[in-house]
Amino acid sequence: MNRLNALPTLQIDPSRKISFIYRNKQYYGVEGDTVATALYSNGIRIFARSLKYHRPRGIYSLDGECSNTCMEVDGIPNVRCENTLLKDGMIVKEQNVVGSLENDRMSFIDKIDWMMPAGFYYSTMHKPAKIWPIAMKQIRKVAGLGVLSPEFKMTGKYDEIFPTADVCVIGGGPAGMSAALEASDKGLRVILLESRSVLGGFFEYRSHEYKEGQSYHDRAKELSAQVEGAEKIRVFTNASMIGTYNNNLVTGFQIGGKNDSFDERYMEIRAISVIVATGCIERPLLFENNERPGIMQMGCALRMAHTYGLVPGDTAVFSIGHDLGIETAICLHDLGVKIACVADIRKSGQASKLVAQLTERNIPFLTGWVATKAHGKKHIKKVTLATLEGRQPTNYDCDLLVASAGLTPLTSGITVAKGTVKYDGHTGCFLPDKMPAKMYAAGRIMGFDDALSIESSGRLAGCRAALDCEACSTTELSDAKNQLDGLPDPAAGCKLVIAPVEGRKSFICFDEDTTIKNINQAIEKGFDVPELIKRFTSAGTGPGQGGIPGHNLPLYVAKYQGMSDVSIRSTNVRPPVIPTLIATYAGSNHSMFKRTPMDEMQRNDGGIFRNIGVWQRARYFSSDLSCKNEIENVRSNVGILDGSTLGKFRIFGPDAVKALERVFVSDISKIKEGRIKYSAMCNDDGCVIDDGVLIKQGENDYYFTTSTGRAGSTIEWIRYHTRYDDWDFHMVNLTDSMGVINLSGPNARKVLEKIVDIDMSNTAFGFSEYKEFQLDSTIPVRCMRLGFVGELSYELHVPSSYMKTVWLMLGEAGKEYNIQNFGVEAQNVLRMEKCHIILGQESEQRTNLLDVGLGFLWNRNKTEAKTVGAVALRQAENDQTRLKLVAFKMENKGRAPRDGALIVDKKVRGYICTARDSFTLKEGVGMALVEGDLSKNGTRLEIYEDECGDDRIYGEVVPMPLYDPKGIRMKM
Amino acid sequence: MALTITCPICGKRNGYEFRFGGEEKGPRPVEKDLTPQSWCDYVHMNNCVAGVQEEWWFHKDGCGSWFSIYRDTTTNYEVEKMEVANNEQA
Repeated sequence: MNRLNALPTLQIDPSRKISFIYRNKQYYGVEGDTVATALYSNGIRIFARSLKYHRPRGIYSLDGECSNTCMEVDGIPNVRCENTLLKDGMIVKEQNVVGSLENDRMSFIDKIDWMMPAGFYYSTMHKPAKIWPIAMKQIRKVAGLGVLSPEFKMTGKYDEIFPTADVCVIGGGPAGMSAALEASDKGLRVILLESRSVLGGFFEYRSHEYKEGQSYHDRAKELSAQVEGAEKIRVFTNASMIGTYNNNLVTGFQIGGKNDSFDERYMEIRAISVIVATGCIERPLLFENNERPGIMQMGCALRMAHTYGLVPGDTAVFSIGHDLGIETAICLHDLGVKIACVADIRKSGQASKLVAQLTERNIPFLTGWVATKAHGKKHIKKVTLATLEGRQPTNYDCDLLVASAGLTPLTSGITVAKGTVKYDGHTGCFLPDKMPAKMYAAGRIMGFDDALSIESSGRLAGCRAALDCEACSTTELSDAKNQLDGLPDPAAGCKLVIAPVEGRKSFICFDEDTTIKNINQAIEKGFDVPELIKRFTSAGTGPGQGGIPGHNLPLYVAKYQGMSDVSIRSTNVRPPVIPTLIATYAGSNHSMFKRTPMDEMQRNDGGIFRNIGVWQRARYFSSDLSCKNEIENVRSNVGILDGSTLGKFRIFGPDAVKALERVFVSDISKIKEGRIKYSAMCNDDGCVIDDGVLIKQGENDYYFTTSTGRAGSTIEWIRYHTRYDDWDFHMVNLTDSMGVINLSGPNARKVLEKIVDIDMSNTAFGFSEYKEFQLDSTIPVRCMRLGFVGELSYELHVPSSYMKTVWLMLGEAGKEYNIQNFGVEAQNVLRMEKCHIILGQESEQRTNLLDVGLGFLWNRNKTEAKTVGAVALRQAENDQTRLKLVAFKMENKGRAPRDGALIVDKKVRGYICTARDSFTLKEGVGMALVEGDLSKNGTRLEIYEDECGDDRIYGEVVPMPLYDPKGIRMKM
Repeated sequence: MALTITCPICGKRNGYEFRFGGEEKGPRPVEKDLTPQSWCDYVHMNNCVAGVQEEWWFHKDGCGSWFSIYRDTTTNYEVEKMEVANNEQA
């Protein structure tokens, strides 16, 4: 098909071809094409088969107001082709057909529509109840449009931005641009969203005269040049608004072009004030077969020609209710289309200039006439026109019918933010009524038709928004108001609700195949409110989000019920008002984690890393996931572990002790310098949430650690529980600035002694003591003698920047002992054998301090400290029904159960926290939380594992700890 | 999140930056006279006002302070304390 190529309004470049695949054949479009216009230029006229009746559908709105051009593009079903820019190599397929779009074997359903009245789905096939499961399967086979392949993988780059502005303008037409310019002239930062790829809106594609010597298109260019030249206006094209919320939050998404780093990006814009200038869409004309391919809206026909250079037909008939239709007829005539007739629904009110131009061109012009029926099976062949009363039906041959009842404001930007609209008898439209705070409407959305009024209303909205930002005087505002008052008011609109037809094949909603007959059926069943009729008939619930039926449905219901104008109630729309990919909402892949200073070295040493909270840590150092070598080396020699993920904090100030006493269960005031205090934190239910050690470094100055998972919320926690007290203390989170090395095993002292120049002997530096020293007279080290893994053990806290150095020094010193890495899993087994708990593993949300046997930490005599959890602990103290932590061995040296396995008798009595086949103890051992009566030593535990059937394994409760009960090894 | 919250230190910011800390219930009660019931009420029971309530927020992605604001739970708008006082008088 030859493209028009000499129009100033064209958005395509016919010299640059783009190839794509459709039905396994190669086709070509040109740069600037949408998928739909490219297909159209290749002679494709049927783009889809409708949801229920499999009726052929073609290009109708060109703006994605209905599912008429929904196809599968690159594996994604239900893509609105008319909104999707063509890209090289795209693979396009038809959907919802059996056979081909031209010959769909399911199209017989169109003839049995009588079997499917409104709501048949709810009212049939339920009795007897047995039928439903069978019927459901059949219905599911035919229901829905596109099908997503189970193998489908979403590709592409998805981004998100959260910009702020003083004013956000939704809609880049003449009103939106005028508003943006007005606001930016007043020094405000403006964001302008335009869903099409160029600014200009209603003016952009029109070649008629805006004023003497200037076309609408030229005016659009002039305005958009000003907007693009304005420094403070940030323009987003191909960017659709999908929601507006209170506090003037606007959400949307932008489709990326060739030079963008994203395919789509989600936008969340926060502005002080918002201007909605989304203009109008068209109100579909209701008549028989009103959605045959070859029937399109006024704007669609005009944009096909002017924007895409596609002549939409050879012989055209117009059945329209707005001057834009007459303008379109004149333009198409001048481009060589034969105009058989222009039938205007309005009996008067047309612009005389336009009518004169029709006469000049000898185009037959009827007023008070309307299309009543389209003929032709797969494409329109002729149309019946009649008077509004249905008299004098006359047939006209044509292959293009431009049908539109007029314009209707696109108010979703206002109504989703809880603004209201009201039916206006003069324009016949729902116009903005109560606006949300600091949100203003501008342009055609307010009913304005006159070009100057549209622009002026934009400037007024710009002033109003500027006033909210304190950048506009009241004089400027009233000047803008006066200017608009001097310009034409909105023109009277076309009031016709439906052509004089019965409506069996008059479609009010294309997406859901809802006819006027269906609406009648719903009303006869007793539904009276449009919103409920919408639910029952599903009119307006498809991808077009009510674009097609949004205005006609309430009008038709009111007409049927004989209501007066005032009580015509519109239906609601909800975000997202434009179909949005879930991938766009999801944004980029947020797989983020922190690395310890030892990350690279540990990876080089063969560490196998796992995510633990916000960190990645080395869990294993060989493919032997039981970690036998790592464990045995710590028990018999010396191992080294990176513990940098521990939370590390300093707290200091006059009230630091009070704050610590509030959150830690122990008596903090008794901590002596040089000693380590192990303690725990509970929540207000007494449930233990964290444990760690505290060190007094000076008067009112403490250093303490928390578990890895709690590091992020410790400061928040302490501040929360002291928020009423007005205490004077400060906290510093040292988690990232300090690294931790754990050196454990009987040879740990010998290794450390080689690099340290202080006395490391057991008498000089005993168990549970703390020392500070320097390595090489430079590196400050905070050293704790702890025993988490049950061996002689030192924990070195070192500035992160020195971590590698200290690690290498230890490695060098430990060479003669064959020092080895050990990972988190080895540590887990080692400490389990010693029955040292890890919170979250030996506890869950309901486990309190006493349950896990840490009651000895709790100082019950500091009631004035109001310790978090103390009240609840006192109440839980004598509760025998609580779970208790116990150690157990498997019977007959059997294998250990899996973590999380259940302890049962006739019901669930507890669960396994951690259990392993212990190399040290040569049997299966572990810890479990069990009901109180099962906690006595010697009790037999019946263990149920997933999928074990009737087989059980058995263990026996034994005293804690399992390894080195007297604690000799960690104190040696 | 459409909600905005005014932090006393950082000013009006996006709701994403904050963590909710519950209704304002007054300072921790003295432990001596507490019954299990009264303690449970303090910790777990809420008024769930449909209207303006005072509540705590933490500026987790900002200055790290806890503070209270007045919010209308039906509209999600923050309310000035002055307005609350005036409405109560009226």
